[in-house]
Amino acid sequence: MKPDPITVEILRNAFIMAAEEMNAALIRSAYTPVIYESKDCAVALIDSRHRVLGQSSGVPLFLGNLEACTLATEEMFGRSVWGEGDIWIMNDPYLTGTHMHDVTVFAPIFYHGDLAGFAASRAHWLDIGAKDPGVPMDSTEVFQEGVRLPPTQVVKGGKPVEDIWSIIESNVRFPRSAIGDMTAQFAVAAIGEHRLGGLFDRYGRDTVEAAAEEVFRQSERLDRAAIRAIPDGVYTAAGFLDSDGVGDEPIHLKVKITVEDERLVFDLTETDGPGQGPINCGAVQTLSACRLAFKYLFNPQQPVNGGTFRPLEVKTRPGSILGAIPPAACQFYFTPLGLMIDLICSALSPALPETVPAAHYGDGMIFQFTGVDPRTNELFLDNEPHVGGWGASMGQDGEDGMIWTLSGNFHDMPIEVFESKFPARITEYGYRQDSAGPGQWRGGNGIIREYQMTTDTEMSLWFERSGNPAWGLFGGQGGAPPEVIVNPGTRREIRRLKTNRMPLRKGDVVRCHTGGGGGYGDPLDRDPKAVLADLADGFISGDYAERHHQLKSDSGD
Amino acid sequence: METNLNLRVATDIGGTFTDVVVYDPGLRKYTTAKAPSRGEDLAGGVMDALELVVDQPREVEYFVHGSTVGLNAFLQRRGERVILLATRGASDIYHIARGNRLDMYNIRYRKPRPLIPRRDIIAIGGRLDCDGEELSPLDHEDLRRAADRIRSERVRSVAIAFLFSYQNPEHELAAAQALQHLAPGASISLSHQVAAEWREYERTASAVMDAYIAPSVSRYMADLSTRLGTHGISAPLLVMQSNGGVISARSASERPLQTLLSGPVGGAAGGAALSEILDRPNLICIDLGGTSFDVSLITHGQADSSPSALLEGLPVLMPVVDIHTIGAGGGSLAYLEAGGLRVGPQSAGAYPGPACYGRGGVQPTVTDANLFLGRIDPDYFLGGNLTLDTRAAEVALQGLGSRLNLDSEKLALGIIEVINAKMSQAIRTLTVERGIEPREFSLVAFGGAGPMHAVALAQELGITEIIIPPDPGGFSAWGMLQSAVRQDFSEAFFRNFADLDPDDLRNRFARIGELAVSGLLNEGVASDRISLIPRVDMRYQGQEHTITVTLPQGASGAGTVHFTTLRERFEETYRARYGHSNPQASLETVNLRLTALGDVGRPLLQPDYQPQRLSDGPSKTSSVLFTSGVHPTSRFNRETLPAGYSFAGPAIIEESTATTVIPPEGFATIDRFGCITIEVTSA
Repeated sequence: MKPDPITVEILRNAFIMAAEEMNAALIRSAYTPVIYESKDCAVALIDSRHRVLGQSSGVPLFLGNLEACTLATEEMFGRSVWGEGDIWIMNDPYLTGTHMHDVTVFAPIFYHGDLAGFAASRAHWLDIGAKDPGVPMDSTEVFQEGVRLPPTQVVKGGKPVEDIWSIIESNVRFPRSAIGDMTAQFAVAAIGEHRLGGLFDRYGRDTVEAAAEEVFRQSERLDRAAIRAIPDGVYTAAGFLDSDGVGDEPIHLKVKITVEDERLVFDLTETDGPGQGPINCGAVQTLSACRLAFKYLFNPQQPVNGGTFRPLEVKTRPGSILGAIPPAACQFYFTPLGLMIDLICSALSPALPETVPAAHYGDGMIFQFTGVDPRTNELFLDNEPHVGGWGASMGQDGEDGMIWTLSGNFHDMPIEVFESKFPARITEYGYRQDSAGPGQWRGGNGIIREYQMTTDTEMSLWFERSGNPAWGLFGGQGGAPPEVIVNPGTRREIRRLKTNRMPLRKGDVVRCHTGGGGGYGDPLDRDPKAVLADLADGFISGDYAERHHQLKSDSGD
Repeated sequence: METNLNLRVATDIGGTFTDVVVYDPGLRKYTTAKAPSRGEDLAGGVMDALELVVDQPREVEYFVHGSTVGLNAFLQRRGERVILLATRGASDIYHIARGNRLDMYNIRYRKPRPLIPRRDIIAIGGRLDCDGEELSPLDHEDLRRAADRIRSERVRSVAIAFLFSYQNPEHELAAAQALQHLAPGASISLSHQVAAEWREYERTASAVMDAYIAPSVSRYMADLSTRLGTHGISAPLLVMQSNGGVISARSASERPLQTLLSGPVGGAAGGAALSEILDRPNLICIDLGGTSFDVSLITHGQADSSPSALLEGLPVLMPVVDIHTIGAGGGSLAYLEAGGLRVGPQSAGAYPGPACYGRGGVQPTVTDANLFLGRIDPDYFLGGNLTLDTRAAEVALQGLGSRLNLDSEKLALGIIEVINAKMSQAIRTLTVERGIEPREFSLVAFGGAGPMHAVALAQELGITEIIIPPDPGGFSAWGMLQSAVRQDFSEAFFRNFADLDPDDLRNRFARIGELAVSGLLNEGVASDRISLIPRVDMRYQGQEHTITVTLPQGASGAGTVHFTTLRERFEETYRARYGHSNPQASLETVNLRLTALGDVGRPLLQPDYQPQRLSDGPSKTSSVLFTSGVHPTSRFNRETLPAGYSFAGPAIIEESTATTVIPPEGFATIDRFGCITIEVTSA
């Protein structure tokens, strides 16, 4: 039975709104600030065949892989494992793909006694019991990164499985918050069940399921049409990361993309790995990141469901950094993904010259410091990402000073909030002159953020992409690489990009520079008015204008 | 005629029309009119509208105005050129703008366009720490250089935003003083006066916005006051503020930011007044026009408000009535995508508009569907101002229907169903985020298209009571007549809740209260009509976002602070909003807020509604298509229905500014205030 187009459209919207409502409930009831303030979470309503009906995500990177968790569980235990009133939890990085702070909770939905679908959510918990408070930056095995949960029943037939709860409580630093977040995720499951059941009641299960098939077909049709519109061929790009966080060797990534009529294959099998440090990513999350890249380039305004991404195939090599296997450390699973997405865009630039941007500055650029605040005598922990320059694209400069592409709605921390909360000052925060990659359209500018300690502390850093900073496209040039200098211009000057728990003394200065984005098009083709505007705004120096645009800064017009 | 009429007048400028509502307390009667807005000449449209209904200008004793001048200057980016003075070392804050994005899958994302370029920001030395203690003194050499530029470039508006000025305003004040001396004549906006709250980007952006619109707002207020005076209206000009209260034009010129959302909040103010009159503490108010669908909530009799708003992505710290907008309206287009039907958010706009406007639109819209189904009278649209072309609507529907294999009836019903589903889901999301169950609310509908869709939306949401106020098209202007004079004050107040000193808190509120009272006295409010509402922004320690809690007053009235009650109220609000609370956790305070309200009398609806002329039945009957099939449907003229009149659906009630559709399941009553109250069973 084929439902009419009106019912299909109403249900298509209803699936999306059900997911929005689930996500609102999660944000509303979570304990961890990063969930309710940075929206570091995602939810999905999934059908009984593990296809997404509707999803809502606060983090782009959590796009479309919650269904991998229900599918993996069914593959491990068989379809008969699903029971009414059961709720499951997992954070195994090799199955979910991310780091163990990201905990996925899912529940089968039953309708009149039959399996009808799943409600799933993923949220970033405050602590998962790693060797260091916050985030370790030098882990070499998963065992140092926290408590690892394979698919595990936490509620059975509506009753808590108390042994599991107490194992979780005993292994994390903030048990109250962990249990609070977990129960908030239970609420998501309940809403998903209620909404899907409500739609079945109103329209009939057969109609809803037939409508879902039609919704999937519509999404698939749009994606296939978009791929068909680009020329067939094999497109490649390669790049490297500075290190795995423990060793000093660069890690190489290679992307080979085949476009064949309306199919797209991302082949990542020639990527290095495993890395000794925490730079490995589970294949499931690599798939997610590939889907994110796909979404950036094809039909970005369309909602995601079980029909989206059907024409996309992703190949990874088990044991590489993009196909992590136990016991590879996975804390910074996202670092290779940022590079990979830049490479996918650049590889496809001949096919999509009007869509793809040049490379972005490339990573979270994380500064973490901890110690005892003398004002309160309490332990504090600050973990901050830093903004940098995005890549330019046809017709527009890259944006200046943005949180990186994978993190969405994260914000930088205001100086006034920072100094009120932590025993340090921010003595400078502003754009970094000449950091933008030159081009007809220039890359975005990186920033400088300088910290001065007002007490003794320990600092950890995770900055990347200094060896292979944001590159340009179509004649555009690269942006400046990142740089972190401790006590610049003194005898105690140190340069580091990655470090774990480096001791700092009161008065020490840490000067962080983030990279700029890559330029697009030949810098000599840049509109002289735009160069003059950048000069007037101080984004570039006279030297830069002369070197890249052959514009004498004293020439006036 | 009596000479002492004491007319009360409200005018509201919209994109197409300027509305005016006049209340005559002698006759206890409202009169409304519309004049076409005059584009750039906003005051001209106001004067046109006035001439339609006010023939005795000297009798106007109260005049309130919804001004769009600041908002227009901002939206069209035609505000004043502004120079920003910012703390040296942190002068890029305004452009970095927190680095976040809302548009997640856009890899070519651009930030909201800032109002000033980087070159117009001047760094000034001088730094405070987080407690407001001076780390380095204000650099007067920097100020002199800034003043030289301001003078030589003839800059007329300056914003000053220094780090930690919310803790200690001395540097900002000293800088302003120096500029007044060195570069006299420029208008100056100080961040701590615009919003004494932490987070430098948001505070700076607010100060820049204030400086950007200040000269346009001042000029407009002066112009309108003069023209009103020339016309013979000597009543002081009052202006609607974003917070839902009114303020004198003089104060509005000093603090222009507060008038930024002057126009749109009238509806919510009307909702709050209706809530009181009808004794319905919880209302969902919907305003549906041609392109947008606005939802606001009244809870416990108050319009839901926030301490900040985002305008085209730029943050503004000011108390603002919460209005949630989605792209849906009479002009929403139905179209084909990937073989499926879509309705909105794209709109046909006013031009070419729906197919039935006969201006060349060929795609069907929501209005075309309503017309085709018989819900709109083609000869009485906008009170007969526009005759609709039913045939053009039919052709448009047939065109799309043939591609979807749907006949025109099914498609027209479908378009309405889809847009209703989207609007009701938007309401649901909004209420769920606030921990509110919509079925416990009544739905109030206004705006041209609101009453046409209200019952269907209510049914989707499980709401059983729908209220259509008198003259739904002029409801926003009516709402302005119901507003109190209002001023909001805030100051940063970082304390551990456990360490709070009741005397300190009382003294601080007493000091702000004095300011507030003298402010309202200056506005001409009688001292016995002033009420003060003290509030505290609180949160659990370690959190970033706060919840605003109203301070309980001591029974003695002496301002004794009941900390236990304060804590309980916090926990209660937190639980309602986030689903849980944590009574063991430490709390902290962030800001003190004081709202001062001045009652200047309100011409509330009276329970003695009389129609203009009586009729004892429908004016005619026609066939209207509902989901359950074609029904012979009574069409009533609202102006003929007396209080107490009631009837079962299906029915259509027409009036010059709106059409109310009552489906077969509905039952309508005209209440003693003249509202149409519809009871309905949920779908």
